[in-house]
Amino acid sequence: MANLQSQKWLMPRRSFLRGAGATLALPFLDAMRPLMAAGSSSSLPIRIALLYMPNGVRPDRWTPEGDGSRFKLSPILSPLEKHREDLLVLTGLQNKASFTGDGHYVKTGGWLTGTTITKTTGSDIAAGGISMDQIAAQQIGRNTKLPSLELGTEPVATGVDTNVNYTRLYASHISWKTSTVPLPCEINPRVAFDRLFRTRSKGSEKQAADDQSVLDLVSQDAKRLQSKLGSSDRAKLEQYLESVREVERRIEAEANLLGAGENLAPDLLAKMDELDQRISRAMGKASREEELNSMPRFDHGEHCRIMMDLMVLAFWSDSTRVSSFMFGNDVTGRNFSFLEGVNGGHHDLSHHSNDGTKLDQYERINRWHVEQYGYMLDRMKEIKEGDGSLLDTSMVAFGSPIRDGNAHDPKNVPIVVAGGSKAGLKTGKHMVYDEGTPLCGLWISMLETAGVKANQLGDANDGLRGIA
Amino acid sequence: MPVRRLISSLIVLSTAAIADDFSAKATPLLSKYCYDCHGAEKQKGGIETHHLTSIEAAFRHHRFLENIAEQVESGEMPPDDEDLLPTDAERRMLVDEIRSVLKKLETGDFPKNAGRTTVRRLNRNEYNYTVRDLFGIDFLPGREFPADGAGGEGFDNVGDSMFVQPALLEKYIAAAKKIVASLYDNPVQLDRILVVKTSEKVTPVQAARATLLTHASLAFRRRVTDEDLAPMLALFEKKTAAGESFAEALRPAFQALLIHPAFLFRIEADQPGKTEWKIDDFELATRLSYFLWASMPDRRLLKLADEGKLSEPATLRAEALRMLADPRSESLSRHFAGQWLGFDELREVAAPDPVRFPSFTPTLRFAMYRESVEFFNHLIRNNRPVLELIHADYTFANAELATHYGIPGVSGSQLQRITLTDPNRGGIIGQASVLTTTSMPLRTSPVKRGKWILDTILGTPPPPPPPDAGVLPGDDKSTEGLSFRDMLEVHRTKASCAGCHEKIDPLGFGLENFDAIGRWRTRDANGAPIDSRAILPGDIIFSTPKELKDLLLSSDELFLRNISRKMLAYALGRPLEYYDEAVVTDLVSELRKNDLEIQSLILSVITSHPFQHRSAKR
Repeated sequence: MANLQSQKWLMPRRSFLRGAGATLALPFLDAMRPLMAAGSSSSLPIRIALLYMPNGVRPDRWTPEGDGSRFKLSPILSPLEKHREDLLVLTGLQNKASFTGDGHYVKTGGWLTGTTITKTTGSDIAAGGISMDQIAAQQIGRNTKLPSLELGTEPVATGVDTNVNYTRLYASHISWKTSTVPLPCEINPRVAFDRLFRTRSKGSEKQAADDQSVLDLVSQDAKRLQSKLGSSDRAKLEQYLESVREVERRIEAEANLLGAGENLAPDLLAKMDELDQRISRAMGKASREEELNSMPRFDHGEHCRIMMDLMVLAFWSDSTRVSSFMFGNDVTGRNFSFLEGVNGGHHDLSHHSNDGTKLDQYERINRWHVEQYGYMLDRMKEIKEGDGSLLDTSMVAFGSPIRDGNAHDPKNVPIVVAGGSKAGLKTGKHMVYDEGTPLCGLWISMLETAGVKANQLGDANDGLRGIA
Repeated sequence: MPVRRLISSLIVLSTAAIADDFSAKATPLLSKYCYDCHGAEKQKGGIETHHLTSIEAAFRHHRFLENIAEQVESGEMPPDDEDLLPTDAERRMLVDEIRSVLKKLETGDFPKNAGRTTVRRLNRNEYNYTVRDLFGIDFLPGREFPADGAGGEGFDNVGDSMFVQPALLEKYIAAAKKIVASLYDNPVQLDRILVVKTSEKVTPVQAARATLLTHASLAFRRRVTDEDLAPMLALFEKKTAAGESFAEALRPAFQALLIHPAFLFRIEADQPGKTEWKIDDFELATRLSYFLWASMPDRRLLKLADEGKLSEPATLRAEALRMLADPRSESLSRHFAGQWLGFDELREVAAPDPVRFPSFTPTLRFAMYRESVEFFNHLIRNNRPVLELIHADYTFANAELATHYGIPGVSGSQLQRITLTDPNRGGIIGQASVLTTTSMPLRTSPVKRGKWILDTILGTPPPPPPPDAGVLPGDDKSTEGLSFRDMLEVHRTKASCAGCHEKIDPLGFGLENFDAIGRWRTRDANGAPIDSRAILPGDIIFSTPKELKDLLLSSDELFLRNISRKMLAYALGRPLEYYDEAVVTDLVSELRKNDLEIQSLILSVITSHPFQHRSAKR
């Protein structure tokens, strides 16, 4: 991370540490000309966020009326009215590789990869490709503390679905570091917060040096052990080694940041404090230690919003530029009776059999998810960056890999992207594509807009027309 | 392109080379009558037949075979409305071929293979138990690790489905620091782990070497080499040179031990040039201890391994029995039985509606979970017959759980063994943990309970419902005058549903007297009398849990096969392959020879060929 040290700050300033060991990455203040993201045309970093909603949508209430810039938001998307000019609603997209296999796992596992997952009860787990967020992480994640941040609300689904013979692991992962390495979602907001913002304490230079030598030691030993193993075992050790290298990079990056002097925006700090306290309030535990060690079990809406706030602060502080969030695992049975007019579990209600009362409840659950998405957009819009907002340099996609959950329909998937206007995204439109247009075309467009090279992904060789 | 032509001719040759009876007789029929709906394009009901191109392929996909044979034999498949239907002779030939493959599988009529377990990382529980036994740490430092996904037979100890992502490694590093800090903060602990101190006769390097040798041997569960120690000693010397005290200079080495690949992974060596070999005694000690304790081998096991004695049959048996008597064997109840029978879900997943079921308190949830754990502990410690899982005249309860069950005379918060007078309650099927995890938040689910019996108890999962099958209301408080059962009966009159549901639902109907949190009831949520009449195909009629259990007991082969299969898979930490089916057959016959005693099953697993061997290929 030599480029960090060599940065010339317009307004160098020594930060103050707040609390015991608060540590913060570089915020992008107007007064401090920030880093240039590699390959980006903008002087501000471009971020990519992907929000996954499980179990599809009520199909007749999702698609807006009209197209181009003259469109009317649908009932499910209506909570986004005030962000209309920042929206791109995309109709007609699909991921062809997900048509085979079962109704859920294939769709979720391949949402961001555009590939077909391997049908397995566990012996050869593979997505078939790397996910688009991880392609971004490889290229624009090198300049930040974390290459990417994966968040969720439900623990990894365990067991095997003996009905269809897929390991349930596929239902809980959308981010694939490689074809064979799924990245689990952090679901505990306290752990995520500390990972982002409180990793160093006083005397941390010495600690970092110790960490480095410990990591050196184990990576040498891992290589030595690796040479004695068969190929599948070697691959597991290689994964371990790759993780060691990534943590080493992170330690180095933090040491360099410390060397360069920390730069904190007061309003960012205030928001962090606020979120810090909100997490404690929501979790309702006696101590931080307990928060770290507990299973998050509190109001689902607040849980989702806190996770999204973590993404917002991670972007704002430039701790990461790539993040994914799963509102729930696929096939989640989460009881949505906390919503008015809903009495039942999410997955059950998605199999509505075209029964009017169930369709209505399904729609309410869909709209609730869109409201939460709207909350995140609100927050990002409020944060000023350059002569615009954080949202203007962030592309925040929201969607599900199936359309009608009742039929596990993988065609014309629900997907909307918000923000990114300063990155070059042409928003404020409802784009209607020919049936069968690859969803991966959207992923390519988002990647290219962020300055990430992506020539081919799944069944797409090009980005989508008319959006960037 | 001559080269390409050569390659393609080779491919044709190799396909021709595996021609056998199955590919000659069965494959053409499958291709003609089944591929349209169960082939490469469509896989209705999750069934695909286009892979079944040879006997080897049929072996590999054996789980679907019996189902296919049954459907074809009974005439349910192909459906009558297909244009092309097989003749009776063709049906017979296909069914016979499939059954002959299944017979070969059961009797082991194929080359033996011990299989190959992918290197296993310690899962979250194993990590916690291992640091407990390594350093006496009991604060569960692995609690914040993400849950491990499961593979194979549904257990979270399968190497293939465990990963070390950067976020997890960071957690390992943090946990290692926390563990070492807690040892260092306690002078008694610190004194205990610094096994050799410096003195006039012992140089700091010698003391450090002896200390690390001890802990590395335990942490790596094997003999440690100089090659292993050198980097840690180098680190120690570097810190010493920088002016650190003896203990402080050792701190990073301790941290390194806890994130070391030889600690986090259970590495088994390959033996180059061999296709299969007996694992060494240290590897055996490790397999044994993670099977029975989900933790590291204790010093006694390592000592026996070091002396090369552990693999002697009498020693191995004695050690296994010693381990089963040890409290650590509770891991079998919690993690093996908990994941197999599904009561593990009671801890975090099950979510009965708090308004509808106000008596479902956190303490009741805990008591339900502990009942199942204590019950399984009891089976193991007292070597009870495995069929007591289906029916027993005792269980474990505290005052709250006993009240829940309507059993008088139990006091206190401690679970205690109680004798059951109601024959409906005993066994795992009558335990509130299972009855709750197989229910919905607001109501019972005869379908889920029926599926649980078919899948979890008998090992014969039904196929998935078609996506547009629809679901029943989440609540059984009906306003339309129909009982919940009536609605289910209407729902499954659809032809596409009836085939499976006539086998699934009756099993659940028979348990309808148990409500969604396992209480006995005679009236449903609408006040109507419970209708627990159940008729299975073949005019098998029953109407109480006791009668259902009697049915299961009278025909126990599927259950015995299933518990054997699950236990073997948990012990091996890998998905079972077709060549393991013959091992399962042996386990069942051993079990029958030994009056179905559960310890005999555990011992048979330990002495089985795949547990003691490792192959070059899987």
